[in-house]
Amino acid sequence: MTDAALLEVRALTKTFGGVTAVDDCSFSVRAGTVVGLIGPNGAGKSTTIDLVSGFGRADRGSVRFDGEEVVNRAPHRISRLGLIRTFQAPREWGSLTVRDNVLLGMRAFGRESIVRNLFAARRVRREENADRLRAEEILEQFSLAHLRYDRAETLSGGQKRLVEFARVAAAEPRLVILDEPMGGVNPVLGERMSQAIKHFVTRGSTVVIVEHNMRFIEETCDEVVVMDLGHVIAQGHYSTLRDDERVVSAYLGSVDDG
Amino acid sequence: MSYWISILTEACIFSIMALGLNVIWGWAGDFDLALYGYVALGVYLTIVMTTGPALSPTQYILGWHLPYVLAVLLAVVIVLPIAAIVGAVALRNLREIYFAITTLGVISVLYVIVQIYTPLFNGFNGIAGLVTPMAGPLHISYSNYAYFLLALCAVVLLIVVVVLQRLSSSPYGRAIRSIRDNEQAAAAFGRSVFRSKLTAYVLGAGLAALGGTLFAAYLGAFNPSAWAPQEILTLYAAVLVGGRGNVRGVVAGTFIVYIGFIELTRYLPNVGGNAEFGPSVRQILIGGLIVVMLKFRPQGIFPDRHGVPRSARRTQGTSGATGGGWRDRLPLLAGRASGGRPEQDVIS
Repeated sequence: MTDAALLEVRALTKTFGGVTAVDDCSFSVRAGTVVGLIGPNGAGKSTTIDLVSGFGRADRGSVRFDGEEVVNRAPHRISRLGLIRTFQAPREWGSLTVRDNVLLGMRAFGRESIVRNLFAARRVRREENADRLRAEEILEQFSLAHLRYDRAETLSGGQKRLVEFARVAAAEPRLVILDEPMGGVNPVLGERMSQAIKHFVTRGSTVVIVEHNMRFIEETCDEVVVMDLGHVIAQGHYSTLRDDERVVSAYLGSVDDG
Repeated sequence: MSYWISILTEACIFSIMALGLNVIWGWAGDFDLALYGYVALGVYLTIVMTTGPALSPTQYILGWHLPYVLAVLLAVVIVLPIAAIVGAVALRNLREIYFAITTLGVISVLYVIVQIYTPLFNGFNGIAGLVTPMAGPLHISYSNYAYFLLALCAVVLLIVVVVLQRLSSSPYGRAIRSIRDNEQAAAAFGRSVFRSKLTAYVLGAGLAALGGTLFAAYLGAFNPSAWAPQEILTLYAAVLVGGRGNVRGVVAGTFIVYIGFIELTRYLPNVGGNAEFGPSVRQILIGGLIVVMLKFRPQGIFPDRHGVPRSARRTQGTSGATGGGWRDRLPLLAGRASGGRPEQDVIS
């Protein structure tokens, strides 16, 4: 491996009661790549990204983000390092407008202090105006401009997906983890999502995608990590893994099983 | 005339308390039931810090002779860390009904302590003696005092509204609402959910205490029969009627609920010679109002439209929620209604 790993997961383990959902899971993600995380239902993909992003506590193991140990840190602290994740169902801020959803993606936390908003309101407004211009660009890019003042909860499922992506674009993350972005998305919209993901990469982001849509994975990802029963069973290019016996049996069930 | 002066004074004071509730529940989405405890502490602390030492057999703590304004500031400052401790425990991991039950426990314990432990605030008999504060130094005659107090409460309310309005429309207002709408997404985008909720809780409790200090000047005396944990429900009705989250709407809602209901039940006869008949009917009507609002207009008369510029408002409907049954639209307890998640439900 020539490039430095942006994300390095080592021996990550998580047990729920008697079930080991993630079992000694290790993989790495090089900067600037798009990596697919695949595996059958119950393989531990979602739990793994929960642990990586701080939404679950690991029993053991290590998660290094750009060389820094982040395992079991609070999610907002991990996020502030530049690791942004999405959820399986879009989690829009429903009562807020689409534009506010995008503005909240921008990581300008200093501006949200009570004290600054009361005593340095003018400066806050100046900074805010600059970001509104950027928000407008992002809204245009995702064809959401005409919906900018609509409350996010009034949008359709597909539009909510776009808001989710626009929010991520606004955050300009170093690493973005997309949890099943193609769930319930029509082919036209899917095409736009692929483009958006490529756009993330050109803007300097690294992308991890959890997805069941294999064609989408094949077209989008540079590399694939395959999980089954909490382990990583293979990591490599999609074309080489497609014929890998372990991968095939994990997905289709081995012929010997009985 | 003096009747209307006192009604308006009360409405101003309750508006400040309702605005405190609006910060905690309207913005941060936490169904707090302890708020009236902070009001009561504000009242008690103001009285014990201004009326001098207790004369036997009365007993209470402090017994200072501070000027009223100083007592107001100190009372609020004392309530803040108390609310911070309650919030730190209740907001760490508890949400919705679990948070509500915890805060109900807090105020129930406080209520019993105040009643039973006489050395604190003289127990059941309560404390009295705060007569026309600030009248002396400002040379206000007794006959004009009611007007002065109304003006004072109105000015304080105005300042509170201006400050909260500024916060409401600021990036702070946006961030705290995002935590209410979906706290996991808020955390995923770098917001510290616990810290933000705790800050909002302490701010709201401080406003409740501030309302209490003015209430002390209005009442002059206070005892456990003058307040009860369930007073909070009237404040919830006020926020709900006005428009949850909307600062000016909440003030309007408070005036509607307090003045409307007091006026409506004012001329009721004392059925069976029972003086409690009118006030009891009032409570029933307020309960009915909460149900009716939740069913037909959960977003309130003046819905909160954060982030929508004035120019864009006319083109949109006033409806704050679309589709779904009313249960999906505004669960009292949940942070926010969206997508009809079945596990979120109102108290039924």
